[in-house]
Amino acid sequence: MSIFSYNGAAVVAMAGKECVAIGSDLRFGVQTQTITCDTPKVFRIHDKLYLGLSGLLTDAQTLHEKLMFRHNLYKLREERDMKPSTFGHMLSNALYERRFGPYFAAPVVAGLEPDGTPFLCGMDTIGAMEKAKDFMITGTSPESLYGMCESMWRPDMEPDELFETVAQCLMSGFDRDALAGWGAVIHVITKDKVISRTLKTRMD
Amino acid sequence: MDVSRGASHSEAAPSTGTTIVACTYKGGVVFGADGRVSIGNYIMNRASNKIAPLSEYIFLCRSGSAPDTQIISDNVRHYLHQASAESGEEPSVLMAANLVRLLNYNNKDHLVGAMLVVGWDKHAGGQVYGVPISGTLAKEKWAIDGSGSSYIWGYCDSEFKEDMTREEAENWVKEALALAMTRDASSGGTIRMYTLDGAGVHHTYIPGDQVPQFVGDLPFPTGNPGGAVLGSAAREGGMVIG
Repeated sequence: MSIFSYNGAAVVAMAGKECVAIGSDLRFGVQTQTITCDTPKVFRIHDKLYLGLSGLLTDAQTLHEKLMFRHNLYKLREERDMKPSTFGHMLSNALYERRFGPYFAAPVVAGLEPDGTPFLCGMDTIGAMEKAKDFMITGTSPESLYGMCESMWRPDMEPDELFETVAQCLMSGFDRDALAGWGAVIHVITKDKVISRTLKTRMD
Repeated sequence: MDVSRGASHSEAAPSTGTTIVACTYKGGVVFGADGRVSIGNYIMNRASNKIAPLSEYIFLCRSGSAPDTQIISDNVRHYLHQASAESGEEPSVLMAANLVRLLNYNNKDHLVGAMLVVGWDKHAGGQVYGVPISGTLAKEKWAIDGSGSSYIWGYCDSEFKEDMTREEAENWVKEALALAMTRDASSGGTIRMYTLDGAGVHHTYIPGDQVPQFVGDLPFPTGNPGGAVLGSAAREGGMVIG
C-alpha cells in the first residue's frame, strides 16, 4: 500500500481567458473505508490564489497551515498579498527543505497574477516545480485526469465554460478512481470575484 | 474484486472489492451484487456482472479473486450440466453448493473465493448457502460477503425479517447494497439483482444514477472545523488562520 493512496484525492486546475478554475473531490477515507464527503482538497490562500493538495491528508492539512502562516507573515511585512508565482517558488522551497523526510503531498497552485494573467503550477512531493499554461492535476488516478484534461481543454475559455470543463474532467476522472469522489467543489477565480460551486455526484 | 493484487491495494484483506447480498423470502430467494472491479484503486470495470449462472435456477455470487471465482463457476457449471444429464432432473442447490465448497476446501492454499450459492429447487424451495474462503459450507436464511459487507452487518441484522414479501426482500437487498456501495471504496457502480421463485428468474439492473442515495444536501464544504468563523475573516480580507 502506498502512502500516497492512503486517503485518496483528485485535483484539477485549468486556465482560461483571464480566469483560472481549481476543483477537487470531497471524499475523506482511510483506505477503502469512506469517512466523510465534505473534505475539500483545495484551500484558499487569498482571493486570487488557491492551493490544491493531494496525497496524505494529514500532510496536506499541515502544509496548508504552514503556508498560511508564512503568507500571513509576508502580508504583515509587505502589506500586500503574495503573487501566485512567488507563492509557487516559496512552496517549492518549503518542500525541498524536507528533502529527506518529505511531506507526502503533491500540490497544485492556481491563481491570477497582479496583471490578470492566469498562473498554474504543480509540484511533486519534494518540490520539483512545473508551470503550465493549460492545466495541472494531481491525485490518486492521474492517468484518468490527464486523459480527460488533454481532450477537453482548449485556450481562452470564459469562466462559465471553464467551470463546465473542469467539472466534467474532474467527475469523469474520479469516477474511475475508487479512492476519490463523493462530491466535488470547484472555485472559478476571475479578476473581480471567486465563484465557488459544489457538485452533487455519484456517492460510490 | 481485485484482478491482480496491485501494489497500492491492501494485500492483507482476502475478500476484496465487492458487496454480495442474498436472502430467502416467502416463496423464493432474492440476491444481488454491485458492479465494481478494481485493480488497486483503478476501477477497471464499473458495470461488471458478479453473478454467474450455475444452472437455470442456481446462481453463484462471486467475491474475492476474480479469476479464481470465474474458474470455480465454470467448473461447477460443467459438472452440474453433466449431473443433470445423467439424472434427468434439475440439479439441487445443495449439490451446487457442495461442489463449490469442495473446490474451495481442496484447493485452499491457492484459491481466494468468498461466494454465495443461491437458488431454487423442488426439494427445498429457495435456499441461500454461504461458501467463504477455505471451504466452509453454511446454509443460512440470509448471507452477505465481500469487502463492502463489513458496513452492512448491522443493517442486515436489524432489518431482516423471516417470511418477507417479495417486494420487502428486494428492497432489503437493494438498500443493503446501496449502503455498502456508499461506504466501501471497492464497491459501487451498478446493482444487479435477481429474484427466483418456483415460476422463474427475474433480473433487475439498476444503473448508477438510480441506486438509492443516503447523503442529502450538505452545507458548503470549508474543510475547517471552525469554518464559519474563518470564512468571515477571509471575506473581510484580514489575516486567516486556517
